[in-house]
Amino acid sequence: MNIRRKFVLIAAAVFSVITLAAIAFNTSFLKARNSDECFACHEDKGLTMDKNGKKISIFVDPGLYKKSTHGGFDCKDCHEGYNPEELPHNPKKQKIDCKTCHDKVKPLEKSVHKNKDCYACHNPHYQKPVKESKGDNTAQCLNCHGNKNIKDFKTSIHSQKNLGCDACHKGGHEVQKIGKNDINTVCGKCHGSSQKDFNNSVHHTVLKGGNPNAPNCVTCHGSHRIVSSKMSIESQACLKCHLDEKLFPGEERGSAKFIANYKTSIHSSIQKDGKPAAGCIDCHGDHTVEKMTDPKESTATARMIKTCGKCHSSEVKHFENSNHGQAFLKGVKDAPSCFDCHGEHNIKSVLQADEFSKINQADMCLKCHGDNKVTKGKNNHTEDYKSSFHYIALMNGNTAAATCSNCHGAHEMKMSSDPTSNINKKNVDKTCGQSGCHTTQLSEYTGSVHEVSLMTKNNSDAPNCVDCHGNHQVKNTDSLGNAEGSKQRGIIKLCSNCHASVKIIQNNNLKNVAGTYLESFHGLAVRGGSREAADCGSCHGNHNIRHSNDTLSSINKKNLGKTCGKCHPGASDVFINSRIHISDADLDNPILNWISVIYIVLIVATIGGMTLHNILDFRRKRKDKKAGH
Amino acid sequence: MAEEKYLRMTKSERIQHFLLLSSFITLVITGFALKYPESFWVRWIIFIIGENTFEIRGLVHRIAAVVMVAAAVYHLFYVIFTARGRKLIKDLWFYRSDITDLSNSLMYLIGRRKDRPYFDRFSYIEKAEYWAVVWGTVVMGGTGVVLWFENYFLPVINVQGMNIATAIHWYEAILASLAILVWHFYFVFLNPDVSPMNKAWFTGYLTRHQMEHEHPRELAQIEAESRTRSDEIIKETAVIPDSGENGTKDTEQEETDISEDKNK
Repeated sequence: MNIRRKFVLIAAAVFSVITLAAIAFNTSFLKARNSDECFACHEDKGLTMDKNGKKISIFVDPGLYKKSTHGGFDCKDCHEGYNPEELPHNPKKQKIDCKTCHDKVKPLEKSVHKNKDCYACHNPHYQKPVKESKGDNTAQCLNCHGNKNIKDFKTSIHSQKNLGCDACHKGGHEVQKIGKNDINTVCGKCHGSSQKDFNNSVHHTVLKGGNPNAPNCVTCHGSHRIVSSKMSIESQACLKCHLDEKLFPGEERGSAKFIANYKTSIHSSIQKDGKPAAGCIDCHGDHTVEKMTDPKESTATARMIKTCGKCHSSEVKHFENSNHGQAFLKGVKDAPSCFDCHGEHNIKSVLQADEFSKINQADMCLKCHGDNKVTKGKNNHTEDYKSSFHYIALMNGNTAAATCSNCHGAHEMKMSSDPTSNINKKNVDKTCGQSGCHTTQLSEYTGSVHEVSLMTKNNSDAPNCVDCHGNHQVKNTDSLGNAEGSKQRGIIKLCSNCHASVKIIQNNNLKNVAGTYLESFHGLAVRGGSREAADCGSCHGNHNIRHSNDTLSSINKKNLGKTCGKCHPGASDVFINSRIHISDADLDNPILNWISVIYIVLIVATIGGMTLHNILDFRRKRKDKKAGH
Repeated sequence: MAEEKYLRMTKSERIQHFLLLSSFITLVITGFALKYPESFWVRWIIFIIGENTFEIRGLVHRIAAVVMVAAAVYHLFYVIFTARGRKLIKDLWFYRSDITDLSNSLMYLIGRRKDRPYFDRFSYIEKAEYWAVVWGTVVMGGTGVVLWFENYFLPVINVQGMNIATAIHWYEAILASLAILVWHFYFVFLNPDVSPMNKAWFTGYLTRHQMEHEHPRELAQIEAESRTRSDEIIKETAVIPDSGENGTKDTEQEETDISEDKNK
């Protein structure tokens, strides 16, 4: 075959391929040419027209159009009756009827949008296929629904979770307004358990009762602008209504005034990350909120400790172990719960110096413990405590002075019989000597005979702080004299409570030191009213009383000179050679023994003889008188 | 009828006796007030004097002690440096006759003798009284000084010594008080011969009847001596001829018996 025939064959093949291709694309090619005609003008971004006096853009992006679901159609397919030669193209203002093609779309009659044009939502030039356009419609909705509340939807938790308008308002052509009565149902579709809780709440009860002010979901959470921040919920929601005196009049529990106390509380005023330490729902719960009187309410008396314990767990634990807590858990009627002491909305810190200051704390405790009504038959703590040095010091502005909780513990108060109690016999010294209080006295007392006996023996008779100083009516030793005439007498009486008690002396193998003291010159002087003579404490010390064979003891032989020398300077350098409390002179000191024997014999003999002599004398003289003269 | 008077106590002796009795009574009251602070009479004193009673008690006790010791010292000088004083000691000294007197007296008292002993200027009763006071003053004064200046004596005699001093002071106080009460007060108050009281401690004189009854030997002596002298004497003052001065009696003992039974 020659080259020429080959060329002709190849040329013919190429031509036929081109021709076939041309034929194959003939139709669209022609139509495209028609739309291109339109785009010749309408691809200009600045192209506008006047419509009802407004300038509107009539720009169409040809790229996007061609990608859209309508991209295969010619402009004229929809824009019927448009004449490109005329301006405007559609002088008759003929409407485009989508239903010509979309005759099977769901009707809009049920929807809130029933009077709207399709292209109010669907941009016909850029309409994507249904599959692709799903979920995108929020932006479209916001084109029209532009008020601030709805626009803020973008910041809402729903938006962040990729929910759109359709999640609540239904999508597509069924889009609806949500009526007040339907809101709970709509929210409940997703928030089922919350809805269930809400349906049990007092809010739901009043809502069902037709109260126009009753709240539903959006009252508290907002509608479009729902956030998950606690702060916004409380400030916007609870207090919005509950601080309104028109809605909640009066001053009773539950009134606006009552709830307004919250703002002065420690819960409100201490803030963390911009939120109050505890807000309404922290105590009252959120959807489940009930009336205080309802036992289901989280702040109902029975549930109180659990609710407070969410934050104050250690306090509640202490409370549960305390006498208060035990009584409370057993259901004793007058047993206190958290708010009986701390108040309700106006909860204050003990560090705040107003209602829950130390003085008021005493009054608080004495509400129950003062009049014997609650603590039946127990001591009258009111008068006792109020006459104490602690209370007087408090009243005089010494804020370090002890009030009830300093000794009894705040939440952990227990009966003294409980070995873990702060005021148990074995713990009292540590309680009184706690940091900031009587530490010096504690360190003196520690190691004393009294302390050692108390700590090492069970049922020891040895005294702790309160046995000498009293408990509620605690006094210092200076004031003992007020009752007894002199400080010395007060102290002697105090020590004599035990050291002159036959029972205690016998049980503990003690000596009758009180008796021998009272017969000594020191004792006689004090009994006679001396205010200088030594009392028990002058020699033995008061807190640091130790046995004489203890080298730290003030009455140890090594230290006696110094101890006696406090009053008798001559004794300072003397090695005291005799015991002081001589209970039995005969055994103790032979010289004294002889002196007393000799004198007693002498006295009996002499005075006896004299008496006898004089009786005889008297008798004889009377006789002589009668007989003689 | 004006009775004859016989001088028993000179003014000086009466002053000595008064100092002794007032300080003694004060010491007894203020001393036992210390020992029995709760007794009713101490409460009265406290009620009257007030809250400083104890301190005042101590002060008064010491003042009285000083008065008594001063009187004792005065008396010591008196019996050393005056003739009447020396005579006093001589008359008060114990002799063998006092033992006889005592036994005779006891016999008389129980009815075994008809007459009481023929007493001189001082009977055994008065002699015992005097020397008891001398002894008591020394003991109480000595221990009292120790207790008063406890700060000085403590290093010297230690606590044991102080305890001994206290015990002696206490027992001696009982002995002295009871002795005065039982012995002296009986003879000057209760004694039927002088009841209700022998007044010599402030008048200074005894009557002739009292002299006859209580001090017959002294009376006889006085009368014997006066007979050897002139006749005038006895109206105003009873004089003991040996001494150039007035006849007296010792301060610390103040009584004489007056037996009225044989007078009238």
